[in-house]
Formats: sequence, C-alpha cells, structure tokens
Amino acid sequence: MSKRDNKTWMKDLRAGATQRDMALADLHALLLRALPQGISTWLSPENPEFESLIEDAAQETLLRALDGLDSFEGRSQFTTWAYKIAVRVALNELRRRRWRDVSLDGLEDAAADDSAPRQFASSDLPPESVIERADLLRLVQQILAEELTERQRAAMNAIHVQGVPMEEVARRMGTNRNALYKLMHDARLRLKKRLEREGLEPQELLDMFSRE
Amino acid sequence: MPTNNKIMKSIFDWFNRRFKKWYQPDAMMVKLLQSLTMTEEREISCDDVYAVLDQFTEAVLRGENVLLLMPLVRQHLDMCPDCRAEYEALLGMLQPAAYLAGATNL
Repeated sequence: MSKRDNKTWMKDLRAGATQRDMALADLHALLLRALPQGISTWLSPENPEFESLIEDAAQETLLRALDGLDSFEGRSQFTTWAYKIAVRVALNELRRRRWRDVSLDGLEDAAADDSAPRQFASSDLPPESVIERADLLRLVQQILAEELTERQRAAMNAIHVQGVPMEEVARRMGTNRNALYKLMHDARLRLKKRLEREGLEPQELLDMFSRE
Repeated sequence: MPTNNKIMKSIFDWFNRRFKKWYQPDAMMVKLLQSLTMTEEREISCDDVYAVLDQFTEAVLRGENVLLLMPLVRQHLDMCPDCRAEYEALLGMLQPAAYLAGATNL
C-alpha cells in the first residue's frame, strides 16, 4: 500500500478508474484495519455480526467519501476524515440494530404533540423562605410541567432515563439528531432561566435532593 | 419481642418507602438538573461538531489544549452522548492506546 498525503489522496480518488480503484482499495484496507479498534467497545469482535458490520460500514464509507470529496477541506488527515465517516456509519447501524425491537412508549405519540405546556396557577407557589424539601420538589415538578412540552419531556425521558441514543429518538420522532439537539437545548435553556427567575440553582437543588 | 426502637425504625422505614416520591426526585429530574448545570446560552449543534470532529480528535492526540481551542466542541461532547460515542470511536481508530475504557452507551 502506498503512503499518500492529502493531496495525493484527492488526486488519486479523482483520477481515472485504475488509479481511483487502487486508492479505494487502499482506503478500504485501512478502514478494515482501523474500524474494529474503533467500535470493539460497543460490539465485541466475538459477536457473529462483527465482521459483516465492519465490511458493510467500510463499503458504505467508501461511497460516502467519494460522494463527499468536495467537502473535504484538508483541515485534518484525509484518512481521519474518512474514519469520521466510518464511525458515524458503523455506530448508527449498531444503534439501529440494538434498539430496533425496543418499544419506547409514548415517544411516537409525543412526536406530534408539541402543544404548549400545562399551565398551573402561579399562586400555588409557596414562598421561598418556607420551602421545605418536599415543597421544593413539588415546585420543580411544577416548573417542569409548565415549561416542557410533551415532545420535549418524552425525548428527555428516553435519552436521559432510558439511555436511548439521540439518533434513535430523533428517528422515532420523525426528525433528525441535529434538530433534536436544538429542541433539547431550547428546553434546557428555558428551564434554566425559569429556575433562575424562581431563585433556584440546579446545583443547589441537586445538593439538597441528594442529602439523606 | 421487638424493642420500641425497632418498632419505631420499621415505622420510619415504611414511611420512607411510602412517601419517598414526595421528597425524592425521579431519575429524569436528577439527570435534567445535572444537564442544566452544564447548559450554556450558546451551544453548537451535532452537525457543527461532526464538521470538525476529525480536526478536534487530531488536536487531542497532538496534546493540544482543546478546551481553549475548541471549547464549544468540548462542551457539546459533554452534553451529547451520540457525538461523544463518535468521538471516542474515532479516537480508538486513530490511536487504540488512547481509547477510553469507559465508553459512552450507544
């Protein structure tokens, strides 16, 4: 296998069939060698699906790399850029396989429900000076109910409590991971600001709730 | 015959079990509060992170101070388990010895 710098990779991959095929074969060999080291923590090399996953991911990476050559800006090694594609392809496939048969109650239903959060009368809020732990908990629960939509609540529950990957949650909610992250960020910011208005700090709340 | 202390303790334990939910937050609230402690006004998206993940990982492996150079990427990786898993896998591909033992859940 010949050593290539970024310029040579680009030149070879854009060249005629023979030169391009040789470069693709070299990249394929590099992927087959490196990818197992990248994903063996998530899928054991002993697993019967391991080899086919690596091979499929390598093939898919070659296609995507060729397709996206123009987006490579040379800010990293070309191989690192290609490995980045391989990682996403392989982990997305693993996520899909791992979660495909798992039912996530409420996620699909909540996907369509982005209506305004429930409203509570603010007069229910106890004065800060007399808030005891139970009252504080009730207050935070109330704030969550008021500030989070059903869609945000379902997503947070799936990601934070059930440990479902964002990619899978996004797929089931009919959106994509990027949009889901923004949805979650908006929700977190909104909650943080509301807590601030109520004079509450997330870390102080955690400290108080963790006391025995 | 149980002593008064034992009776009191069993009553106290029963009370704790029965009413714990009144003063103990559920798992979602705890996780959410934890994530709020790391929430910033400006955060970058998964696509933004993916665009520079190769550069970022190489910088980490060169020993550069990525907290200073790419603080928003670092912050996103702390918040987003999917992107963090991709970063860890890429790190493993580039330098198996640097692979983190406690990898992020898929």
